[in-house]
Parts: sequence; C-alpha cells; structure tokens
Amino acid sequence: MSGVKMEELRVFGATIHGFAQACINLNIVAGSKASSLISDIEVNGWYPFERLRRLERMVIESYDNAAPILERVGMEIMLTWYNYGPGKQIIKKGVDFLYFQSGSQGYESVVKGPKDLVGSFTLVEIDETKGKALIHSTDPFSKDMERGVIIGGMSAPGDLDYIDVKNDEDEHYFKIEFC
Amino acid sequence: MSFEDILKSNTPPQKDDLTDEDLRRLFMKYKGLLKDQERDKSFWAATNENLKIAYEKLDEKDRELEKAYSIIHEDLSIAEKIQRGLLPSLSGQMKSDLDIAVYHKQLFEVGGDYYDFFKTKNEKYAIGVFDISGHGVSAALVMVYLKAQFMQIMERLESPKKIVEWVNSTSFNFLKSVKRYATVNFVVFHQDKLRYVCGGGFGLLIGHDKISTFEKRDHFVGLRDKPFHEYELPFSKDDILVLYTDGMIEAQNDRNEDYTIARLKQMVINNTDKHVDDILKLCLNDYQNFRSKDSDDITLLILRKRV
Repeated sequence: MSGVKMEELRVFGATIHGFAQACINLNIVAGSKASSLISDIEVNGWYPFERLRRLERMVIESYDNAAPILERVGMEIMLTWYNYGPGKQIIKKGVDFLYFQSGSQGYESVVKGPKDLVGSFTLVEIDETKGKALIHSTDPFSKDMERGVIIGGMSAPGDLDYIDVKNDEDEHYFKIEFC
Repeated sequence: MSFEDILKSNTPPQKDDLTDEDLRRLFMKYKGLLKDQERDKSFWAATNENLKIAYEKLDEKDRELEKAYSIIHEDLSIAEKIQRGLLPSLSGQMKSDLDIAVYHKQLFEVGGDYYDFFKTKNEKYAIGVFDISGHGVSAALVMVYLKAQFMQIMERLESPKKIVEWVNSTSFNFLKSVKRYATVNFVVFHQDKLRYVCGGGFGLLIGHDKISTFEKRDHFVGLRDKPFHEYELPFSKDDILVLYTDGMIEAQNDRNEDYTIARLKQMVINNTDKHVDDILKLCLNDYQNFRSKDSDDITLLILRKRV
C-alpha cells in the first residue's frame, strides 16, 4: 500500500474514542496512555486511520498474547455503543447487529478512503433458524478486535443465549454460531 | 412456567415442567456461559501473564535502582570527604592572633556553604564565608571552582574589594552559564582594623563599646559584573566577629517562625565573656532546640582577637 494512499484512509473519531474508552474501562495498560492520545479527538471528526493503529499497537506491544485483550476491547466498544450510545435505538435483537454492521450505517459509516484500503464487511450468508452466519471482512481493523465487535454487538441486546465467533481457519472469515 | 420464570426460580424445575424447547434453551444457555467463561479465562490469563512480566520488570528495575543508588551513595561519601578536606585549618599568624570556633554542616553529603582562610599580599590574613546557590553536587563543584579562583589571586592583592572584584569578574560568565551565584563575606585583617566586602553574607562585630552589623548593600558573586564596596571597622583585642550564612537564621520551628538574626545576635551578646568555643556551643544548642529541622547548609564562624 502506498504511503500516500494510506494517509487517505480515515476513521470516524467516535471509533477511536470508543477504542480508547474501552481500554480505560477495562483497566488495561494502554488506558492511561490512551487518554493522552485521544485528548484532541473530536467524536464527530475524521482522522487518519494511523491514529487507531497507534492505539492498537500500544495494546499489542504491552501484552505477550494480545488477541484476547483486543477481543475484549472489541466487545467493550460495542457494549458501550449499545448501552450508552445509539445502539439501543438501532438494534433490537442480537442478530440485527449482523445486518446493521454489514450495512451502510455500520462499518461503512466509520471508515472512508480508497476502496481497496477501506475494504468491506460483508454478511456472506445467514441462517437464523440454524443459528449460523458467515462474515467476510477485508477491512483494516484488527481481526481479533473485530471478533470482539461481533460478539459484543450480538450479545448487547441480551436475547441470545449462546454466541461463538471463530476466524482461526482464515482470519478474514468469521464463522458465527448463535442461539 | 415460561423459560425466564424457570431461570428466575430458586428451586430446580421438575422434569415435567420443562418442554423440549426449554431443555434446548437451557442447554444453549449453559453452553453460552461456558463460552463466556472461556473468553474470560483467556482474557485474565493474558492479563495475568502481562502482570507477571510487569512485576519481573519492576523487580529488575528495583535491583538496577538499588545498584545505582549504592554507587551514587559511595560517590557522595567520597565527595563529602574531599569537600571536607578542602576546608582550611588554622595555622601561622592567624592561629596566634585569633580564637576561632566554626560550625559547618552541609544539608546533604556535599553542598554549597564554604569558608576559607587566606593569606593575602603583604602577609595579611583573610577569612571568606560563602553560600553558593542550590544544594548538593552542583553547589559543591562551584565551591571548588571559586576556591581555585581565590587561590589564584590571593597573594597578588590585599584589598578585599579588589580580590572579590577580580574573582567576580573572572567567574562571571562561568557562573552565569551554570546559573549559580554565591553570597560573599570577605574580611582582611589588619593590625587594629578589618576591611570587608559583604555581598549577601552576614557579619556582626561586637567591640568594646559598639556593635556593628556588616553593610549588606552589595550584590552576590556571579550575579552582576559590577564593583563591590569595601568597608572598614576597628578590630581590637577581645573584639568578637561573627560571620555566618543564612542557613541558621532562616531555619524554622514548628510554628513556621524563623530563628532570626536578632536571636543569634542576642545569644552572642549575652555570652561575650565566654570562650568562642563555648559561645558557639550555646548558639548551636539554642538553634537546635528551636528549629524543627535543618533546611539549608549552615556555616557559623565566631572569632575573638587575642592580641
């Protein structure tokens, strides 16, 4: 990816803020450093994606095994979005989140820039009766965090008894089971 | 009973109370809890591992700090001995003419209070008392620098004004660059008088029929590259001269009251009949009973003209 094109990739301020706030809520090491990194972030502003990457790197560099931490951050972002943000007005059931996040109001509303860098977050298939779904993601977010976003977003309404998200075979494909 | 009611109840349901759907949901609920537990376990394992590494790093830093502190402490002990070694001892004409008692204590191992005995041109002897700004190592190093400056010029000049001006002029740029200055009390003794320069220092002369306090109109060494003023006072047999820095008089008690010049002055005046060693002891006892703790370097020099 050319450096110039990378600079054109922008992320919504609320997303950066959400990540930092999740770090603070979870008392993970990046928390105190995270507040200083986002002191100038306007939630309605657009920022170079590198700002979010910097926060991710802080977490990754602080933990030998950062995957569960990033997953938890993703979950915390969505729980906060649901309980303290617009989430409750947008989704009523856990499965609604899959439709929302893969639609124009979801992922596409928080990242913009060159198409090949923005990527996509697509609901490839879903069977609500069987409780299975498949998402294909080529977006620039951390896949561990994204796994947490899916878990958190689906569990927030509280109607689902069981949610499992796996992407260990191919990190860009999230196999979801829910009930 | 609905599935939600079953979950809210405190007693397990009977088999007949459960539908197939209830059983399926209970099963999935249980699986969901296990899955949550699995995610929690991974999270806490990662956090605990991180904590373990953090503690290990902390232990390592602790050991490094202890080692560094030990080296610093050893260096400071040696520096303290060196600085004490640079202080003068009484000898020659000065020893015959004067009884001198000195109390000199740095706040830390090394510091910026300094006193010295000199021999000027024409074999006059002199005493200098200085208080270098700041504390610790930097002040101690400036002390060594100033001592060298004084030693350079001492046997070429006699007037305290010329001596102090020479040192001030040659040291000015250096002291400015290290952001340091020094108060100065410099006294040259003649047959029946003394001549002095006082820039920020403190001096008290108790004569037969008069008590004089040193004029304090001058600036400090290293603060301005300007002339100093020289003053003269009669100095006869049995007269007592007290030279000191501000460490003692500005020390405070529990009620935040200063010890003060007046109190020190009165202590000396009340005990002029005693040997200077005893006057010094009494002043120190009074000071130590007064102050809650030392907060600065202290120098107190009391001398009596014997001849």
